[in-house]
Amino acid sequence: MISVGIDAGSATTKAVLVKDDGSTVHSIRATAFDFVSAAEKAYEDVLGIAEIDRKEVDHVYSTGYGRNSIKFADRSISEITAHAKGVHHIYPDVEGIIDIGGQDSKVISVNNGKVTDFLMNDKCAAGTGKFLEYTARALEVPMEELGKIALDSRSPASISSMCTVFAESEVISLRAKGYSKEDIAAGLVESIARRVAVMARQIGLKRNVAFVGGVAKNAAIKAALEKELGISLYVLPEPQITGALGAALHGSN
Amino acid sequence: MHSFKTLENLKNSYSERIRQIADERKSGKKLVGTFCLFVPDEIIFAAGADRVILCGGKNDTVSIAEQYLPRNICPLIKSSFGSIINDGCSGIKSCSHFSMVDMIVAENTCDGKKKMYELLEDYVPTYVIDLPQRPDTSEALKYFISELEKFRDAMEQLTGYKITDEQLKEEIRFSNETRRLFHRLYELRKRDPSPISGTDVLKILQKQYFLSPDKLKEYLQMLINEVENIEPGQVHKPRIMISGCPMPGGNTKVTEIIESKGGVIVAEESCTGTRSFWDLVDESKEPMIALAERYIKIPCSCMSPNNRRIDNILELAREFRVDGVIYYTLQFCHGYNIEKQKVQKALKEAGIPMLSIETDYSDSDVEQIGLRADAFMEMIS
Ligand SMILES: Nc1ncnc2c1ncn2[C@@H]1O[C@H](COP(=O)(O)OP(=O)(O)O)[C@@H](O)[C@H]1O
Ligand code: SF4
Ligand code: SF4
Repeated sequence: MISVGIDAGSATTKAVLVKDDGSTVHSIRATAFDFVSAAEKAYEDVLGIAEIDRKEVDHVYSTGYGRNSIKFADRSISEITAHAKGVHHIYPDVEGIIDIGGQDSKVISVNNGKVTDFLMNDKCAAGTGKFLEYTARALEVPMEELGKIALDSRSPASISSMCTVFAESEVISLRAKGYSKEDIAAGLVESIARRVAVMARQIGLKRNVAFVGGVAKNAAIKAALEKELGISLYVLPEPQITGALGAALHGSN
Repeated sequence: MHSFKTLENLKNSYSERIRQIADERKSGKKLVGTFCLFVPDEIIFAAGADRVILCGGKNDTVSIAEQYLPRNICPLIKSSFGSIINDGCSGIKSCSHFSMVDMIVAENTCDGKKKMYELLEDYVPTYVIDLPQRPDTSEALKYFISELEKFRDAMEQLTGYKITDEQLKEEIRFSNETRRLFHRLYELRKRDPSPISGTDVLKILQKQYFLSPDKLKEYLQMLINEVENIEPGQVHKPRIMISGCPMPGGNTKVTEIIESKGGVIVAEESCTGTRSFWDLVDESKEPMIALAERYIKIPCSCMSPNNRRIDNILELAREFRVDGVIYYTLQFCHGYNIEKQKVQKALKEAGIPMLSIETDYSDSDVEQIGLRADAFMEMIS
């Protein structure tokens, strides 16, 4: 059976194709305001890479913020269920998941691949990838570098604003006061980690916790979360695609 | 799901009731507006007055209230206040009954309402019943009885009628009958699958605060007859209980989302739910004492301690065999939001999954609630 999962996220659209033998291929594309065409392109990407024709695909399942706009999907499932399935497949011991994406963050408690509890923050940008994107811009540092720079800090600046707009101007005024980019970056990282760690503690994530979503690519956030929670986190080689993988797997059984 | 004729008729009940109130007032009958279940209807009716509940569920009057009230208080308070003080200048319309009341009977419950009532006084004569905060002591009961006695006097003054014990007993009997009808309706929801959706039941739960007692009884009886006689469905849906803040008329957002995601609401631990009818008034006792005893036990989060509510939630969850609980709160309702911790803990120990939804009256979070509801249904199915 060949199945495809599409994760139509607010920032990026991910597609994973699972072949008969269980091997996978994936694609990640910027969503750029158009779920439908991003999903279509990501789908074509994985078909192309796997050299498989559309007709050979048995199931397409969608997930993510735009899951209900993907008309070529047979069914949609929530990101929460999808991440649990996807992470469990790669990491069967998983008991907890922290997902920080473009516009929300979630914590999920998992038992045997099944969700047992979850919490999410999607009411404001604080504690999400958007917060990092905006503040990185104010710092004039590329998103991908932010983590590396933050890790070089010795005394992180303290960022008090939770609101993204105010945090942006706080960054600018800290720079004017002469704080180094490293210390400001580390301050931003800590402020997100603290917020997400509160949610993780609320649902009692203690062991075997995986960190997924685009922000898991930021090594400084991982380190700060580990420090806050006092555990080490499991980060997959490609942490952004577990939702799409989970959706594909959901379709295949 | 089945479409019930009673509920279709209920839709048209508004204008009919407004006409009735207008006629009553022309003939000298007083209309009292209340906000909360702690105010015993029986005393109002025994004084020969009519009553409507003024808890607002409409979003559009919130902005009117925000000219006077802080933004960070619960939408129920803002919507109600906005509906009452609305002079129509902004082009927003309040429902007609808000401007028809002769007196407001308020109660000291949460801080937001308490202070809002002080402002309301400038617009409508407002009488406040004080409530003891620790309901389980004998002093509290004694004090509550004295407050109800004072309220009885105030009602007599308003209408000019003496409230006799006989009259009170009659009203108690009548209200108990209505409570029993609600129990019968809820009994039917224990079937699996439930023959009626929670959104449908909510419509009559909301209207109970607006209709005249006679009409309410009529509608309830009709609805029960209809529900009893429909063919039971076949598909099992996850059985959900709502627990938390009231869902006043005009607001069915959350129940609609939950039921559109495949669940069915079988009970609601709420003031638009079991808290309004669960306990009966003891008809064998002296009426004022019986009323005080019944009303002081309403498990509202304004009371402390409020363990009665936790016990009640567990009891309901078992009786209605629920698969999950949606803990529903309005933004900035500190009482119910804080009490969530206790409910969560108790449900966890009982092995019942809970999803918490904190919202307001706007539609801005429909997608976000939808995602949580999806994930919750996937989790409990
Ligand atoms: N290479 C990277 N290094 C650091 N952060 C990244 C990287 N790529 C993406 N991100 C972060 O991930 C976020 C997007 O995460 P993603 O899980 O794709 O979101 P969504 O599922 O909501 O579309 C971006 O806002 C950005 O902050
Ligand atoms: S929730 Fe409490 S304060 Fe509000 S109506 Fe119900 S009993 Fe009254
Ligand atoms: S919902 Fe909460 S804050 Fe609002 S009026 Fe009722 S008790 Fe008060």
